[in-house]
Amino acid sequence: MTTEQHASSSVGNIDEDAYVKAPTGLAALGAGALEFVVAGRMLYSVFVKTLYYTVRGVRRPGAIAQQMYEIGNRSMVFLFVVMGFIGMILVYQAGIQTKRVVPDLSLLGATFLELLVRDLAASIGALMLATRVGAGIAAEIGSMVVTEQVDALRMCAADPVDYLLKPRFIASIVMTTVLITLAAGVAFGTGMWTGYAFFDINPRTFVNMSMVDAGDLTVGLTKCIAYGAAIPVVSGYCGLTTFGGSEGVGWATTRAVVNSSLSVIILNFFISGAGFLVFGG
Amino acid sequence: MSPSSSSTLTPFAALGGFFLSTAENVGGMGGMLGRIVTRLVRLNFDASELLRNLYKMGVKSLPIVVVTALFTGGIMVIQAAPIVQRYGAQGLLGWGAGFGTLREIGPLLTALMISGRVGANNTAELGTMVVTEQIDALRALAIDPINFLIVPRFIGIVTTLFLSTVFADVLALGGAAYAGYGILGVEPAVFYNGLTSGLLGLGDVFHGLIKSVVFGVVIALASCQFGIATSGGAPGVGRAVNATVVVSAAGIFVLDYLVSFAIG
Repeated sequence: MTTEQHASSSVGNIDEDAYVKAPTGLAALGAGALEFVVAGRMLYSVFVKTLYYTVRGVRRPGAIAQQMYEIGNRSMVFLFVVMGFIGMILVYQAGIQTKRVVPDLSLLGATFLELLVRDLAASIGALMLATRVGAGIAAEIGSMVVTEQVDALRMCAADPVDYLLKPRFIASIVMTTVLITLAAGVAFGTGMWTGYAFFDINPRTFVNMSMVDAGDLTVGLTKCIAYGAAIPVVSGYCGLTTFGGSEGVGWATTRAVVNSSLSVIILNFFISGAGFLVFGG
Repeated sequence: MSPSSSSTLTPFAALGGFFLSTAENVGGMGGMLGRIVTRLVRLNFDASELLRNLYKMGVKSLPIVVVTALFTGGIMVIQAAPIVQRYGAQGLLGWGAGFGTLREIGPLLTALMISGRVGANNTAELGTMVVTEQIDALRALAIDPINFLIVPRFIGIVTTLFLSTVFADVLALGGAAYAGYGILGVEPAVFYNGLTSGLLGLGDVFHGLIKSVVFGVVIALASCQFGIATSGGAPGVGRAVNATVVVSAAGIFVLDYLVSFAIG
């Protein structure tokens, strides 16, 4: 209790300022649940509005193209570096582990490619994009909220969801799919190099597509689209609900990163589960 | 991370600017590490601030660590499921999930979540203090900001990440055992046997834990450095937070590779 009061007085932490009368026990649980339900409903309404404006809103191809550049081109180097390292790490670890059980590594490449297509490329790539893109969207929209630019938009009868969120939503879905497809190629390339350098796997043996089937591709692409849609909606919601000056922008950005990463992980669980049930082994 | 850049600069200037800003950030982080270590060696930091940060960073991050770990365990099993069914290797499910979780996915995902939750929050807090001139006020009162603000946060983040990784490892394996039972019908006992049958050792657990400490240092340094170097009001705080998460994530993956390779 004293530590929390100290916290809110010295740093002015918004999260705790909102609950100065810190509820305890069951009340805290109830407050948390209520907050969760309210946030869920608002998030849902932002999502529905985004979808509505995607179909019916003002068409501004220029804004979408600019967001595609911001989200896509400017994340490319970051994503490729990370995915390149991921490819090397995974093949290295998998090679070491497999050698403990079976000496034959000829199927390593095929299994790696299957895993990459079905899950890892999309999920790890999307986690990276959630930090890079999610933080960017929340910081930008949050700053606009704090400096009352969003209120100005409302005054001009432009819905911020239509004007700010929709271009990011469309751009993110397209660019996430494109980036992840390219990044998967990078990861596979570095993985192939690792296999050749550390385990003497011939690249011709490593490049083996026999295990990738239509089900894997479908699940992988579904994930790309789902993550691409979830990241801007979640972080846009966090940005639009910013309050309280520069500190609020920081908080919004933090929440955007955490919530969009969590949404990627949870979506991954459900899409993977559904994919397993639909397409089987 | 340098402002403006891109649109007006030629490719070479942009490349040079990129290297310069990278060098500046890495140098700043190195300098900060040096200053932190001198304080750590002399045990010269604020203890009550440390406790407060440990509570705020560690205890308050528990929910997201729990959710992430449980789902991660489930995902590991779903991904391994087709292979298990194809070869009927139910006894190896525990080994597969355990090796993936303990060595890579557990430390990695926990670090990413903590970087988002704690690292970004830390930058936002420090950045706000810089922007509102609270750091200057501390200096005016002859309080060293490194002792008072940075070192407790540094210890807080490293400790939080280490302990969260221990939690996450256990919970992810629990989640994996349940998902294996629910999806593949592998009894938890069989899963446990696969986990402890000798293919995995304490070495694998420590492999992950060593990584978590390294990741913690990177997250702490990046978040403190970008927080302290914030400039330019509310948008500046947003930019600093953005830079922190991007640099932390890239640093985590690069070091993951180097550490995996170094300690085998």
